[in-house]
Amino acid sequence: MDQLELLKSKWQQQEQTHPTLSYKDIYKMLLKKSSSIVKWIFMISIAEILFWIVISFLTPESNKDLIQNIGLKESLSIISIFHYVILAVFLVLFYLNYKKIKVTDTAKELMANILKTRKTVKYFVIYNVLGTILAFLYVNMYFYTKKTELYTLLTNGNKNYAAIPAESFTSIFFITQLVVGAVFIGLLVLVYRIIYGILLKRLKNNYDELERIEL
Amino acid sequence: MNKELEHNFVELLEANQNIVHKICRLYTNDRDSHNDLFQEVTIQLWRAYPKFRGDSKFSTWMYRVALNTAITLYRKSKRRVKTQDFEGVSFKISAEDYDDTIEEQLKLMYAAVKNLNDIDKALVFLYLEDKNYREISETLGISEVNARVKMNRIKGKLRTILNP
Repeated sequence: MDQLELLKSKWQQQEQTHPTLSYKDIYKMLLKKSSSIVKWIFMISIAEILFWIVISFLTPESNKDLIQNIGLKESLSIISIFHYVILAVFLVLFYLNYKKIKVTDTAKELMANILKTRKTVKYFVIYNVLGTILAFLYVNMYFYTKKTELYTLLTNGNKNYAAIPAESFTSIFFITQLVVGAVFIGLLVLVYRIIYGILLKRLKNNYDELERIEL
Repeated sequence: MNKELEHNFVELLEANQNIVHKICRLYTNDRDSHNDLFQEVTIQLWRAYPKFRGDSKFSTWMYRVALNTAITLYRKSKRRVKTQDFEGVSFKISAEDYDDTIEEQLKLMYAAVKNLNDIDKALVFLYLEDKNYREISETLGISEVNARVKMNRIKGKLRTILNP
């Protein structure tokens, strides 16, 4: 194995092409990690907002008709405008967090920014979950106050609904709504826990490391 | 106390960082991934440093942590080395030694080593670092006999790669 021995004989003479490291470099490496996590939080929140916009375009026509006919259209429009404004605010906050973490240069500031980012994400998740629950309750309570109209509207256009006897319709409809709603919210919480949970945990680890450097 | 720990760590890393650079060069193909791996290794070293008791030499401990990090990252990304990039590696060859065929052979050999799987690469790396089999076995956590057998097999593999 002459070539391997040849390589071995020259191995220690590989030229050093990289500069030496200092405390500042190590610190910067930790910093870079945090800023890339915060960047991910920002990107994921954009992706999430786009996802909901696409979903709202995919709502079937029959659902839109129902909402229009039963008189929910105006209030739902107001709610969704309000919702998009809040989403935009969060988007700006995430972006500001990202920007700030990128330019921070002391460990203390970075730690403060990491805590702030974690807080923003927490509020974002709480807002989304609570908002979904409230919107769901609102729509169903509204349906409940108009249950006779709801029955006529639904049975007119759809044979499947018409097959359900009128007296048990109300209970079947609302129990189904409740089950579907609970499953949906459960899934939402699960997805948030997975995506943001992982990112927040990593941020927390960085925070702990910074604490070790700082104290 | 922690400042002192950090100061010691940085000093040791500064003195031994060429080891990490050599590992990065072997496990990555471009400067960005080289820097990423270097960063990851540094963080892993720093994380593990409080547990480093000084039972072994700092460099031995460093070989272990750095190679483990390289191997784990390499597994995660599942990327195999396909294109060869020699920009990162250059050897000092003195003028009287200079010979096109030597240069060529070095490059071919380096490329062949780069194409080995992650574990074999770690073994060859330690061999090239002039570690004896006892040190190799300690660093990689295998038995000395196993290290010898593996190294012989790898030499065979390299021979087939270079002389098909």
